[in-house]
Amino acid sequence: MKHLTAGRLGAVLLASLGVLVVCLAIGLVTGPSGISPGAALDALLHPAESGALADIVWRIRVPRLLLAAGVGASLAVAGVIFQALLRNPLADPFILGVSGGAALGGISVLVLGTWIGVGAGAAPLAAFAGAIGTTLLLYGMAAVRGRVSATQLLLTGVVFNAFASAGIVFLASIAGLADGSRIFLWLIGNLSAARTDMGIVVGVFLVVGLGVALSLARGLNLLALGDEAAAQLGMAVERQKKILLLATSLMVGAAVSVSGLVGFVGLIVPHLLRLVLGPDHRLLVPASALLGAAFLVLCDTLARSLLGGRELPVGAITALVGGPLFLVLLRRNSDRSFTA
Amino acid sequence: MPTSACRNLFPAWPAVARRRRDFAAWAITLISVVSFHALEARAEASAERVVSLAPSLTAILVTLGAGDLLVGIDEVSARQQPALAQRVRVVGGLFNPSLEGVVALEPDLVVFVPSAEQRNFQQRLSAVGIATEAFSNLRFEDVLENIERLGRLAGREPAARERIDAIRAVRAQLEASNRAVETPRVVMVLQRDPLFVVGGGSFIDDMIAIAGARNLAAELGDAYPRASIEWLVAAAPEVLIDMDASHEPAPAYWGRWPALGARGRIVHLDPSLVTLPGPHLDRAMQRLAAALHPMAPFERGAPPAGAR
Repeated sequence: MKHLTAGRLGAVLLASLGVLVVCLAIGLVTGPSGISPGAALDALLHPAESGALADIVWRIRVPRLLLAAGVGASLAVAGVIFQALLRNPLADPFILGVSGGAALGGISVLVLGTWIGVGAGAAPLAAFAGAIGTTLLLYGMAAVRGRVSATQLLLTGVVFNAFASAGIVFLASIAGLADGSRIFLWLIGNLSAARTDMGIVVGVFLVVGLGVALSLARGLNLLALGDEAAAQLGMAVERQKKILLLATSLMVGAAVSVSGLVGFVGLIVPHLLRLVLGPDHRLLVPASALLGAAFLVLCDTLARSLLGGRELPVGAITALVGGPLFLVLLRRNSDRSFTA
Repeated sequence: MPTSACRNLFPAWPAVARRRRDFAAWAITLISVVSFHALEARAEASAERVVSLAPSLTAILVTLGAGDLLVGIDEVSARQQPALAQRVRVVGGLFNPSLEGVVALEPDLVVFVPSAEQRNFQQRLSAVGIATEAFSNLRFEDVLENIERLGRLAGREPAARERIDAIRAVRAQLEASNRAVETPRVVMVLQRDPLFVVGGGSFIDDMIAIAGARNLAAELGDAYPRASIEWLVAAAPEVLIDMDASHEPAPAYWGRWPALGARGRIVHLDPSLVTLPGPHLDRAMQRLAAALHPMAPFERGAPPAGAR
């Protein structure tokens, strides 16, 4: 592991922040309405104005950019943490079933909502409730005898995801045409319903998760060596694992509740950064947050601009852009370890 | 009556004819042949046990007075025709009708709108020898043709003709009267989130043109495209017709983008009449015209627009 100096940390964070700012700027001036970059910047500087231009910049693009950044950062940080916690390079934010629980909760309301008298607007709330329920289940299942076992966690997650998928398929098959399109967009990941309040919720859980991950980053480095080794080196392994599990699951739950299952961000951003930066979590966690945000902002800009007035689900873009990019980097760096 | 034909119908004919070459044998043959012909003729003219797998086709049959021919309908039809659903069997959803449920009803005709799923279903029905008829209802003229065809199949030609004439009359009246007014630029929202709008090349798009307006979403290049909200705000429609079925009132939802309401009118329209390619396109066009031109005295005796 390369020694982490303040200078290296500063340089990496500054560069990542620079990339995020550039992506946000591109996102701000790009869109299907074809307003000029100058006009967009002008509208940004005059938030009190009214009219279509102000609506487009302040009430469509800005909330969506912020939500994309928040969701991207949450998923990428969750990916880093789960990969270390489970010591599994295939771990992504959705592997533990939190996403399945959220999707099941949200889709239940989409399909059955009219019978119990709530609209599609309640879906994010129900999804978050599903995520919390799943987290508690995971916790109860994995913390037998006071120890959090990675194998137990993974198996619980895989089984719960399968259960949730079955529930979703059942709901989808009794759903009508309109609900069917909503379910599809939920499963592939979609940010078109962006609202400022959603961004705030995602932001709160991101800050908590990020804070926990940064304060325990040294512990994450040790966890990668194995539970026994970490305990020998003086780490309160079980307590830290529980805190990480809880904070990360809530972060994923909040992100999935508003955006659905946006794939690939939580898998490839952490791996890309490991290839480039090495495995030190004190560097990986903040860099993943910034570049995960940048990646999703860029993908979402493509999703809402590529087809003119028609909208693409961002989950399709993350997979189309992310897959090949990841393979290229993996091939170039095949001599370097890419597992935690 | 040639003897060979009789032999085909009755294998025992020679024996019968030899034993009793009399009037009785001829009479029996004659009666059965005549009734065979009668049966055949009736099967060509009209079906008697019909299963409908599309709400628009169900609505047309009911309106033409052929509802009593229906023995089975899909779930969406059942929701739209509760009285009918009490009497006939519901055989599954639009995308997953039950083959066994349909076959058990012993229909002599199954009518449906082709989609990937239902086309496959048609093949399976044909394989067990049940007659099927496919109806496209993408364009305005398709719907009129469907009314005519269903009228023929159900033996209700006069009622079908009457309905088609009424629709054509309203169309002509609207086209004549909206030459005088300017054509507003309109977007029709089918669903708010995710945002789906009425694009070009659909029967609703045809009705927008007939009602004297320009459909801005025709440029999106699909019958029912998913649009982005930024496109909608930038398009700045003069009339935004909201047909979403959600509970949130239209002003509260669209108020999130004040420019939409500031530059155009937002009208909520009950989707049940306008979005069904069914028997009442005349009323649908009148409602649409009333929503588009609130000042123009278009409709005589038509119900007021469902503005809210």
